[in-house]
Amino acid sequence: MVNQLEIRNLHAKIVDGETILNGVNLIVPKGQVHAIMGPNGAGKSTLGKIIAGDPSYEITKGDILMDGESILEMEADERARKGLFLAFQYPVEVPGVSNANFLRLALQAKKGGEVDMMEFYGKLQKALQTLEWDESILTRYLNDGFSGGEKKRNEIMHMMVLEPTYAIMDETDSGLDIDALKVVAKGVNAMRGPNFGALLITHYQRLLNYIVPDAVHVMIDGRIVTSGGPELALKLEEQGYDWVKEMAVSN
Amino acid sequence: MELTSTLSRDLVLQVSSLLNEPDWLRAKRLLAWETFARLPYPTTRTEEWKYTDITEVPFEELSLELPTGKPSAIPQAVQERLAQAQLSGYAVFVGADLVHALLPEEYRQRGVIFCSLHEALAQHPRLVEENLFKAVNWSDLVGTQQNRPENAKIPALNAALFTHGVFLYIPKNVEFSKPIGVFKYLEGGKLSGSRTLIVGDVNSQAVYIEEYISPSKVAASVNTSSTEIIVGNGAKVRHAHIQLLGQGFYHFHRQRAHLQRDAALNDLVVNMGATISRAEVQSEMLGPGSSSEMLGLYFTSGNEHVDHYTLQHHVADHAHSDVLYKGAAKDQSRTVYAGLIKVGVGAQKTDAYQTNRNLLLSEDARSDSVPQLEIGANDVKCSHGSSTAPVEPGELFYLMSRGLPRHMAQQILVKGHMTDVLTRIPIEPLRQHIERIIEEKVRV
Repeated sequence: MVNQLEIRNLHAKIVDGETILNGVNLIVPKGQVHAIMGPNGAGKSTLGKIIAGDPSYEITKGDILMDGESILEMEADERARKGLFLAFQYPVEVPGVSNANFLRLALQAKKGGEVDMMEFYGKLQKALQTLEWDESILTRYLNDGFSGGEKKRNEIMHMMVLEPTYAIMDETDSGLDIDALKVVAKGVNAMRGPNFGALLITHYQRLLNYIVPDAVHVMIDGRIVTSGGPELALKLEEQGYDWVKEMAVSN
Repeated sequence: MELTSTLSRDLVLQVSSLLNEPDWLRAKRLLAWETFARLPYPTTRTEEWKYTDITEVPFEELSLELPTGKPSAIPQAVQERLAQAQLSGYAVFVGADLVHALLPEEYRQRGVIFCSLHEALAQHPRLVEENLFKAVNWSDLVGTQQNRPENAKIPALNAALFTHGVFLYIPKNVEFSKPIGVFKYLEGGKLSGSRTLIVGDVNSQAVYIEEYISPSKVAASVNTSSTEIIVGNGAKVRHAHIQLLGQGFYHFHRQRAHLQRDAALNDLVVNMGATISRAEVQSEMLGPGSSSEMLGLYFTSGNEHVDHYTLQHHVADHAHSDVLYKGAAKDQSRTVYAGLIKVGVGAQKTDAYQTNRNLLLSEDARSDSVPQLEIGANDVKCSHGSSTAPVEPGELFYLMSRGLPRHMAQQILVKGHMTDVLTRIPIEPLRQHIERIIEEKVRV
């Protein structure tokens, strides 16, 4: 078995709309954390949503493989139960279901049966502790009335409790102050290990000071145009994207 | 006794005599019959029935469901509800027969009357005569209905041929907060008619839940119900009408509350079954300072059709009313809401709100919403609003991306949509019951 999340020559467009991805190739091996950077409109967030199974996009060519198995035909929920997780850029507010109850339902769906309550609360406690949060967040309705920062932190809590094999974080850092960013990074770092792979989608190098990636990829116009180590993020921070854009054109 | 099988004046007389009714009631039934016989059925050309076609309803092709007098066991579905509902007193009807009733001794000692309408006619004739047909009858139409007499057709049928009912009387200054529950189990295949009369005397307080249950699929059946709620000065009544009838049922409910000075009504209609179901819920603020909260929840699937009509009739000044109806529709089902806030000339300082929101779970589902205002006073606060929207695909994707199958994600969104109504139901077992029905309906 190939232990990796592989994006193979992926072309995609908005259903009845414009083309966003023009042949993305990317491999995130299990056990590694990769970052995708790129200017606005490069297609980074779209890539994240497409991997998670957002039905508002249509795949025109290529494949997505999780541990060697194509997940293209699966709906979002099936992908999640297989071990995929997307931390949303804009989590949805859902009144009527408490944060904890929702997580319990999600965990049940993943396990295909009842969840041991002690074990569940153990996981919640551990996540809350890592994220320096108090229990009141559990009884509130899912994201309902949460501040922007609370929503982002809650996505990380969901990730910690659901323990995915591969997680994609869609601009989890944007809109966070430095303290919140550190807390979120703590959560992600706590997940790191041989059985966890992650793809961080970000605009800013700042996050990568706290979550040091194994690789950085740069996306422009729906393609990965260059890849490198953490130093690539620093170069982008200093020099901007123009040199990569030029490189993309000359290629 | 052999009864006439077709609907007729003779049948009205036979029913009245079978039930040993007093002359005044027989006379009223006959008046109602005359109205019924004279009026046409409402059609989709009748403004209030624009979205609900009842031409298929076999009003006059079914035999009338009469009391059999035979003892009957409490149906399993009702037993389950009794075990869960945490009631104080309760009554169970199977068809037109009252098969079980219970009122705690403590309530009886304090003068509470809770019995079948016909027992009340025998034991408390004056109380019944004073109040029966006061709020719901065959002629008294209010608001937009006034201009279209066919709106009285079905209430007239009910008044002429009802066969059973419930009477609840709460004496002056007597208060109880634990609900009394009435379960009406209908086997189907008949024309059934019942009435409920609730009288809350001065400064009394009561909670009453009425629930209609049947097998999930029945032969064509028609059920009419009339509920009259008289809320005296300073009295408080909490009332719920829960309709969970099976496929094949045509259910027509008309309810009207009279609210006296500083009276308060908290009303809830839940419509989650039947082939066609229509609930007309009207509150008349007759006394200054009265207040009527009117909540509605509905969720349709398959080919179900539910229709709601609310009236907030402000007659007196300084009264408050608040309608909040929320529903969801899946498959090819349809929901209708029409409501009127009518503020009379003298009803200054009225505070009236009306909101209807609908969630569509499929492309073939449809919701129609018609909020209306008719304001005759110049110093009032009134607002109304309605909306109908499909499930937001992004919301569904978010929930599914956490591993929840589509039906569970939808269930959470439906509950989320209804949350502001659900949280206004303080009777915890009732709220849980409704939530469970929603969950089941999303799944199938």
